[in-house]
Amino acid sequence: MADVPMVNIKINGIALQAPQGEKVIEAARRINVDIPFFCYHPRLTMENGANCRMCLVEVATPRKNPDGSVVMAKMPKPQTACSLPVSEGMEVWTETEQVIADRRGVLEFLLINHPLDCPICDRGGECPLQNNTIHYGPPTSRFIEEKRHFPKAYPLSEYVVFDRERCIHCARCTRFTQDISGDAQLDFLFRGADMEVGTFAHTRFSSRFSGNVIELCPVGALLSRTYRFKARPWDLMTQKSICTQCSNGCNIKIDHRVSQLQRVNARVNEAVNEEWTCDRGKFGMDYVSSPDRITTPLVKRDGEFQPVTWDEINTLIIDRLQEAGAKVGGIGGTRSSNEDLYVWQKFFRQTLRVNNLDHRMGPHFRPTNSGLYARFGYHSMNNAIADLEKMKTILVFGSNLVDEQPIIYLRVRKAWRAKGAGIVEAVPRSMKTGEEANHVGEFASVRLYYRPGTEVALLHGLLNVMLYENLLSAERLGEIKNLSIVQNAVKSWAPEIAAKECGVEADAIRRAARLLATDQMAILAGETVTQHPYSEDILNALGNLAILTGNPGNINVPVTENNQQGAMDMGILPDVLPGYVGLDQPGLNTKQMLQGAVSGEIEALWISGVDLVNRFYDRDLARRALEACSFVVVTEHTLTETAQLADVVLPTQSVAERDGTFTNVERRVQRFFKAFEISPEIHPEWLIFSQLAMRMGGTAPYFSARDILREIAASVPIYQACTPRDLGDQGVRWHYPAANHTADLVGVEYRAPAAVSA
Amino acid sequence: MAETLVLLKHRDVPGIENIDIYEQHGGYAGLKKALAMERDAVINEIKTSGLRGRGGAGFPAWIKWSGIPKDTKKPHYVLCNADEGEPGTFKDRELMLKLPHMVIEGMIIAAYATQSAKGYIYIRGEFVESARSIRRAIDQAYKKGYLGKSICGKEGFDFDLYIHMGAGSYECGEESALMSSLMGERGQPRLKFPHAPLPIHEGVWQSPTLINNVETYAAASQILAHGGAWYATMGTENSKGTKIISVSGHVKKPGNYEVELGYPVLDMIELAGGVTGGKLKAVIPGGSSVPIIPAELCKDFKLDYDAHQVVQYSMRTMRLPVVGSGGFMVFNDKTDIVVLMRRTAEFYTHESCGKCTPCREGTRWIFKILSRITTGGGLPGDIDLLVNICDQIDGRSYCGLGDAAAWPIMGAIKHFRHEFEYWIEHKRSPVGEDCLPPAPEPLNPLLTLTPV
Repeated sequence: MADVPMVNIKINGIALQAPQGEKVIEAARRINVDIPFFCYHPRLTMENGANCRMCLVEVATPRKNPDGSVVMAKMPKPQTACSLPVSEGMEVWTETEQVIADRRGVLEFLLINHPLDCPICDRGGECPLQNNTIHYGPPTSRFIEEKRHFPKAYPLSEYVVFDRERCIHCARCTRFTQDISGDAQLDFLFRGADMEVGTFAHTRFSSRFSGNVIELCPVGALLSRTYRFKARPWDLMTQKSICTQCSNGCNIKIDHRVSQLQRVNARVNEAVNEEWTCDRGKFGMDYVSSPDRITTPLVKRDGEFQPVTWDEINTLIIDRLQEAGAKVGGIGGTRSSNEDLYVWQKFFRQTLRVNNLDHRMGPHFRPTNSGLYARFGYHSMNNAIADLEKMKTILVFGSNLVDEQPIIYLRVRKAWRAKGAGIVEAVPRSMKTGEEANHVGEFASVRLYYRPGTEVALLHGLLNVMLYENLLSAERLGEIKNLSIVQNAVKSWAPEIAAKECGVEADAIRRAARLLATDQMAILAGETVTQHPYSEDILNALGNLAILTGNPGNINVPVTENNQQGAMDMGILPDVLPGYVGLDQPGLNTKQMLQGAVSGEIEALWISGVDLVNRFYDRDLARRALEACSFVVVTEHTLTETAQLADVVLPTQSVAERDGTFTNVERRVQRFFKAFEISPEIHPEWLIFSQLAMRMGGTAPYFSARDILREIAASVPIYQACTPRDLGDQGVRWHYPAANHTADLVGVEYRAPAAVSA
Repeated sequence: MAETLVLLKHRDVPGIENIDIYEQHGGYAGLKKALAMERDAVINEIKTSGLRGRGGAGFPAWIKWSGIPKDTKKPHYVLCNADEGEPGTFKDRELMLKLPHMVIEGMIIAAYATQSAKGYIYIRGEFVESARSIRRAIDQAYKKGYLGKSICGKEGFDFDLYIHMGAGSYECGEESALMSSLMGERGQPRLKFPHAPLPIHEGVWQSPTLINNVETYAAASQILAHGGAWYATMGTENSKGTKIISVSGHVKKPGNYEVELGYPVLDMIELAGGVTGGKLKAVIPGGSSVPIIPAELCKDFKLDYDAHQVVQYSMRTMRLPVVGSGGFMVFNDKTDIVVLMRRTAEFYTHESCGKCTPCREGTRWIFKILSRITTGGGLPGDIDLLVNICDQIDGRSYCGLGDAAAWPIMGAIKHFRHEFEYWIEHKRSPVGEDCLPPAPEPLNPLLTLTPV
């Protein structure tokens, strides 16, 4: 922000400097001058705001007389501080008699139609309208006419109810759906005092981000259906936590009461989720307080699960593991914390002395998880989420982004809307959404819906345009070795030929190539790439695209599971130790372990927090393996289909019940904290492994997740900066050691999709 | 004093809405003169004439015209505000109906002066006949080469003109709301200077936009035809030229009268044939938004942009305009001012767009209080309450609609407080029973939606 000129202003006589264009309300907040507001929100555009009129202040600006002297000219009307940009010499007063009277007037107006049902309103106690009325409002109302009446609690969607009587028409929710989520489903209907928020023809408010409007609403008009009437805000305890619904690691607040999760609110983290949540995160965390949670260890006797004590179960497990010897495998872990995973792999590798550990659910089991690592020196997502905003172009390749990474989707949309980035969407035809809201297609500059299996042809076509239209920097091309490999590979892929093969318009390929040929381009590849039979080819072709456009660090293949990144980092892979230290004698991967279980080479399986039967790509193999394996331990929250097939089921703590860290999609290690406990009989996973290890091998036990994190920070170089103290509230991104990755071009031959089925 | 016909000079010529007849009466002469001049010279002519915006605010037109950037990095637009909704005003309707070419000519001149290639006439939805007239006129102008490519053979000057019909919202006559509506958005005002750039820099589609009233464009065509200096000889020092006044109410000959600015209010009534049905009680001189003038004060007022009335709030004094948009309404002594204000308040309640708090809630509150008073439910504190609500609205709302809702109430209370007091005390009209208003209709039809 250094290039923004500063201007001198005065607020209530206090002189300060503010960057040009900053709003008065923001400048005032920096010097702790309180200006009340309802409709203002720093992340929503003010073009359609400034309508609550609560932030009126008196303003004077310097005016030059004809003789050259300067006088302060007071603006005749009070101005809204939320939309007024500061200018040189401006003076603002926020506490004059007139301003105080204006605030009382606005609050009186807002309250004439606002029902006084605060005692039964979910917002009561944390309501900006209540707070501002107490601070600035009139003590009584002079309104004796009848108030506006509507039926209460109109259901907008399955998550949101709407009480129109309480609405103060601040337009925060409508602006959210227009500016941020982009579905524009909420808007005002009718006009004047009859104006109300609604959806078109009373259709369902089906946005994937609908829950955010509940938090944005400054009154109790938009309410959560799951939280409604469940608690009063002052009875709630709040704990900082991390959402476990996908790998994005959104920062959340868990509001709980009597050891029950009541609701989830977003916690601000500019680098990750800003202050948004998706509906999956906001309303999907209720598993934490599910009545189906297992609360004691269970052992299967005569086909029935029976509760046993931890002491008994530990003895049993130790006996069976010792019987199995080296024929032990561990699968899963993407839901566990880094501490759990670290102790788990340590238990396997040091106590059981096996390397059979894997978190991957297939179908590809490449060494160290990704072909990217060998070429570029990173595994999954290399750009920071926030850095996507800085890109000129973003290529969303083979990804149903809004499903796979809802919050990254919001960031991509922000890059387009707020920063003017060009978006190219290239997805298989089956994902065609056109301009449908809540999909990348809504705002993509170029949409390429290719025939499944023709990804490489499409990428060749793009490179062909770039090379033969001379869109790439000649200087860069001159420095690249083996350029001829790519030149030869793409030579025959003129856009017309590629278009015919992929079933897209040749012109669209040209337009996309012109957008993508910039050195500030990021690639977001999705699950159709990672699950593809030829995913190696596609990643190689994407790598070539990145190298030629000068973006070797901007390939992103986001992991999808909650702590999948952490599982990789902590060595829940058969061939590496924590921190990607290679092993001489790799163990078995998931598929090999399951095949081994069927053939008898694996006698004991430890499945950690994954419903293997439903998540492994080959359901049949998973089932057969679990049935054939003589001893299966499953650590789970509930009795899933996989847990039903186990011999021993161990209860584990959910994210709300323990301390720990997760590593999110952009390698940000973030702490979460214990909010409540639902049963003392549920142990964290690290404690289970720690106790087993102590009894089997006499290793020193761990006493807290904090201790383990300290050990991780001390022993795993990439986690060096991740001590409990350094992580703080916002987490720390770890970085790959600066290695010499040449990132050479690789020749990729297109294999037609017909060959796929063969 | 008689009328001074400049714009309406040929209004009674049969067929003047057709381009040939219009040309025979000096039509498009102004355009041809303008095209022979430099762009700056055209704007200078407007500056010399002293033309001020005829929509009601009276902003000097040349400042807008000359403020449009000289470069054309972005397309420029010329907008004509023909959403004439101010109660009592019907001058634009007649101009468009009878003299559509004069409006179009003015817009072409403005397009030439501001290097615009596209223009829009935003016509009030109810003005179907006027819109048809403009439509015919635009078609004729295209045929004659006054619109389209290389207008009048002037190489590089292209101008296309489109009609956009409103959908019945008073608020869309406010320039920023009009632009929102034109772009297909909700008809609500947008942020204004100093919160956002002026329309001349970022108007419709974030491009420089010139927006003027119908009458302003019509006047511009005559200024170019006859010269700015000629136009400036009419009117007063600060309010030059002529203004069409739409006279209505209790007069013998209601209609549009074109007079020089500075015309006395009492003469205006005489020009329209005098008061009917009784003695003069009051005049609303500039559309329903400006404060009422009682008969005994009419002699002190002239119709120009300097004239003003003063109203007093608890902490501030406001100078309110007189001439406004030129909707001149005359009331005889059978008029109940409180009922009149109730009707006015009903209008503003109905037309408030709902965007900002003071106007949305305040107008409805005022209407409810006035309804209560005029149905016999008035309470002693009501007048002070009304003044206080007006104080809370005036200057606090997003656009001028809130101010315009407060001013007439303030004017009425200032001059006719005794009538409000009479209503509150006696529960009936001070001018007789025949003036009682109809019972107010319920405004808010409940939607029958099932709660959860």
